[in-house]
Amino acid sequence: MRALLALTVFGGGVAHATVAPALRIAGVTPDLPLIVVVLLALRRGPEFGALAGFAAGLLQDAAGGGLIGVQALTKALIGFAIGAVGSRLSVGQPLVQVPGLVLLTIAEGLARFALLKLFRFPAPFGEVMLYVVLPQALYNGFLATLLVLALAWADALRARTP
Amino acid sequence: MRIRKVALLLSLVAVCLLLLTLQTRGYASRAGDLVALVTTPVHAGLARASRAALGVWTTYLDWKNVRAENRRLREENQRLRVEALRVTETDDENRRLRHLLALQERLPLATLSGEVIAREWGGWVRALTVNRGRGDRVARMTAVISPEGLVGRIVEVRAGAAIVQVLTDPASTVGAHVVRTRTPGIVEGDPRGTIRFKYMARDGASIQTGDLLVTSGQGGLFPRGIPIGRVRAIDDRGSALFHYAVLEPAVDFARVDEVLVVTGPTGQDLTAYFPTGG
Repeated sequence: MRALLALTVFGGGVAHATVAPALRIAGVTPDLPLIVVVLLALRRGPEFGALAGFAAGLLQDAAGGGLIGVQALTKALIGFAIGAVGSRLSVGQPLVQVPGLVLLTIAEGLARFALLKLFRFPAPFGEVMLYVVLPQALYNGFLATLLVLALAWADALRARTP
Repeated sequence: MRIRKVALLLSLVAVCLLLLTLQTRGYASRAGDLVALVTTPVHAGLARASRAALGVWTTYLDWKNVRAENRRLREENQRLRVEALRVTETDDENRRLRHLLALQERLPLATLSGEVIAREWGGWVRALTVNRGRGDRVARMTAVISPEGLVGRIVEVRAGAAIVQVLTDPASTVGAHVVRTRTPGIVEGDPRGTIRFKYMARDGASIQTGDLLVTSGQGGLFPRGIPIGRVRAIDDRGSALFHYAVLEPAVDFARVDEVLVVTGPTGQDLTAYFPTGG
């Protein structure tokens, strides 16, 4: 479990550091570690989700140079929550996956904003939501759509081969 | 089990809150140092992996670009080489035609320009086919010349072409003399594809290599003074009545592409109209 956790967090970090800047559209980058955390939490449960969220968030906090612990906390909470309720949701449905990821990104953004407000974060809520959280949520949803399509295509291909 | 999960979450939340509290209470550097203990090696590893991944990707892209560029440059190079060849060929043809035209204009003879359209280069026969025939009023046994000198004579006239027997044909004979010594003789072709000057020994005692030979004009077939070639070697046969000199033809028969067919009277001396120096 530890090896898998280290590997996935490390993989998410590598993807965030390498792929995300290349995927930037109009200054918006996807939150790849969040996607990795959600996927892990859905498959491995709340404990794993919380730990993966904490580790990935901590790395992002340390890399960002801001308050250390904010993203670690929000991603740990998201990972735990998704791991806990994922089994009760029809997460296999693309109609749940794509909007689900958009909503989770918004939820993570709201949580992060609320937490930062406690520490006198100066930016107004509307601007943060309009220019940061919502575009990133839509981008994550778009990536999730691509991922769902790619997985469906791979499944179809596997079913066709004898 | 459930308590363990909640305890884990609470521990993580507590750690985060502790870190945040430490930072807001002025212990930012300590909290940062604490996290950096763990995150710095991870970030270093991430940076290395990121650089490696980007390096591989960039190398691949560069390789792809270089390959495409290489292919494009090869194609362009090939196109330009063909174009350069075409230009060179056109330039050469232009130069040859200008020489031919200049000769045609300065000669006091009626001539007709023609293009070599075929060559017969076997040992038995050495002939050129020019694109001037019966319709151009070309007649048999007329001289064919180029800016460098004598090419040969027309031996057959057809509807749209004429066959020129060149000087190296084994059946070709032309009356000639050495410009420097006035030694007369006959220039014959031989099966080896060379030409030789046959002269009486007592007349040719002073012939030297490099001497220029021109048509003698005797017989009325060829105008007088057209360069035939230069003496390359002298075949001394001792007391024999006739000696031979091997000649270097003035015209490169394998390369001549445009010629002039003499169509009018051939009584003039043309020595002054051809280069005789060297």
